Formats: sequence, C-alpha cells, structure tokens
Amino acid sequence: MSNKTILVVDDSLTVRQQVSLALTPAGYQIVEACDGHEGLERMHANGGIAMVLCDLNMPRMNGLEFLETLKGDAAGPPVPVVILTTDGSSELIARAKRAGAKGWIVKPFQPDLLLASVRRIAGNPGS
Amino acid sequence: MAGISREDRLAEILAKSLSELLPELGVKAERLSELAAPPPQGEGTVAFTGFASADLRGSFTLVGPTALFDRLHPLPVGVTPRDLADWARELVNQAGGRFRSHLLDYGVSLALGVPQSAPGEQARPSSRLRSERPPIAFAIEDMVLEGWLELDMNPDFEIPEQPSAEQAALQAGSVVFF
Repeated sequence: MSNKTILVVDDSLTVRQQVSLALTPAGYQIVEACDGHEGLERMHANGGIAMVLCDLNMPRMNGLEFLETLKGDAAGPPVPVVILTTDGSSELIARAKRAGAKGWIVKPFQPDLLLASVRRIAGNPGS
Repeated sequence: MAGISREDRLAEILAKSLSELLPELGVKAERLSELAAPPPQGEGTVAFTGFASADLRGSFTLVGPTALFDRLHPLPVGVTPRDLADWARELVNQAGGRFRSHLLDYGVSLALGVPQSAPGEQARPSSRLRSERPPIAFAIEDMVLEGWLELDMNPDFEIPEQPSAEQAALQAGSVVFF
C-alpha cells in the first residue's frame, strides 16, 4: 500500500465521495470507513495509512471516541488525524486537540483547502 | 429579535442556518413567509435529527420533493436513491451543525443526534409536528424545502436576545491546525 493513503471515516457516503473526488486526482489513495469502529479495523488492516480524516457525529463510535481509542493504542507510530465535521464548538475542538488531533475542518469544505490540508499533514504523494 | 418568544427566536436561528447553507449548495433559496398552498405531492424525502441540552430538547426535520434533494446533491455524478437518502441525512446534519454553532454564540450548547432519512410517496412530517408551529420554508427553483422545528424547553430556559459579540464556534469552511 502507498504511504500516502488517506483513511476517511464518515457515516455519509456523499462526504466520503466528495473527499475522494478532491484527493484522488492529486494521487492519494483513499480507504473508507463509515464509523469509528470500522475506522479502527481499517487502521489495523492497513499499516500504511498516512493520515485520517474523521467525522465527529457517527453511529456506534463517534470521532472523539475513535481519536481517544487511537491515542490509547500503543501499537505502531501515531497517525495524524484531522477532524472533518459540521461542528465548530471550541469545547469539542479543545477536547480533540487534547486527544491528539492535528487539525479541524468545518463542513462544507472547499476541495482545494482540503487538498492543501492533506498535503500539509501527510505530504505529497510519492514524496 | 427583541420581543419575540423563545420558540420564534430559535426558529429564526434555524432559518438563518438554512439561509447560509443553501446558497453554498449552488442554488438560490428564497425564504417564504408562509406556505400559500400545500407542497407538491409525489415522491418526497424526510430527514431529521434530534438535539438536546440540559434544558432544551427537540428535533429538526427537513421535508421536500426527492427531486429537490437531487438538485442540492453536491457531486456531479449519477445519483441513486441510496445516495439521495444518504445526502438527505448529511444535509440535515450540516444544517443542524450550523444551528448548533449559532446557538453557541447565544451561550446554548446542544448535542446533535445521528440523522435519519426516509423517502416515500406523500412523505410528510407527522400531524403532531405540523400542529405545533409553521415550517421554515424556502422556494428553490420551482420546489419548496420545509424545515420543521420541534421544541421541548424547561420553563426556566432562556436565550439572550442577541448573540455574544465574540463568536464561540468556528464557521463553516474554516480550517485550523494544532
């Protein structure tokens, strides 16, 4: 697997497709998960995830629970997580930051800004 | 918003949220002061989410022709009924998120539920919901999108007449790094 694979964790198929359309033309590979539980499974199954884009409000396991579980998982180096959500609450942002998130993007997002954010965190594909 | 009820104040904050969101989806949305006639019949979609704080609970429902949700869909690709049901949930989630962010500016913090949606012939909100208050309605091209707000407030719940001068939440489209 490429080391520029981005895991997108969002219960909305539409959002996952939007993210994929924004990133795949630039050379990133996308792996999808529809909630935090599935996100953790994808993380364990795909060792080369370069970055995670994660929604907050999801069934079964929400984004903060995913982030906090990931932080407690000692296996392997930390993978940067950016939260991609409709929520802009400073309280939740502070909690995500404490749990190790590297950034926060409020939906709806601009595709070029999303791509720039991924380049900044994960680096360019092939680099 | 001085001199209006708590319910009307909350409805106006929701209307503001929708007024901001809809143009970002590439359509011109005109707020309707009232629904002059029953919305068009036929295939419709209902999407809703619940919300709660210590002293305010309720739900927010979007109702419109399925063709309107198709028109608002953000991707330039073939859209299936499954895609539209998913998009309706995301749309109500984005509207709810914006509602939540605006309420933070008034010192009200809500938790949002996971949205649900249902397509179907004659899709309409429940008679109980319709009896509570009129919808927040927008004309979009030749279709109407209705937003229905259901509220259950503790008697001592208050919402200030004006938001705080300092924004308490990041706005849509914002990007921050830590």
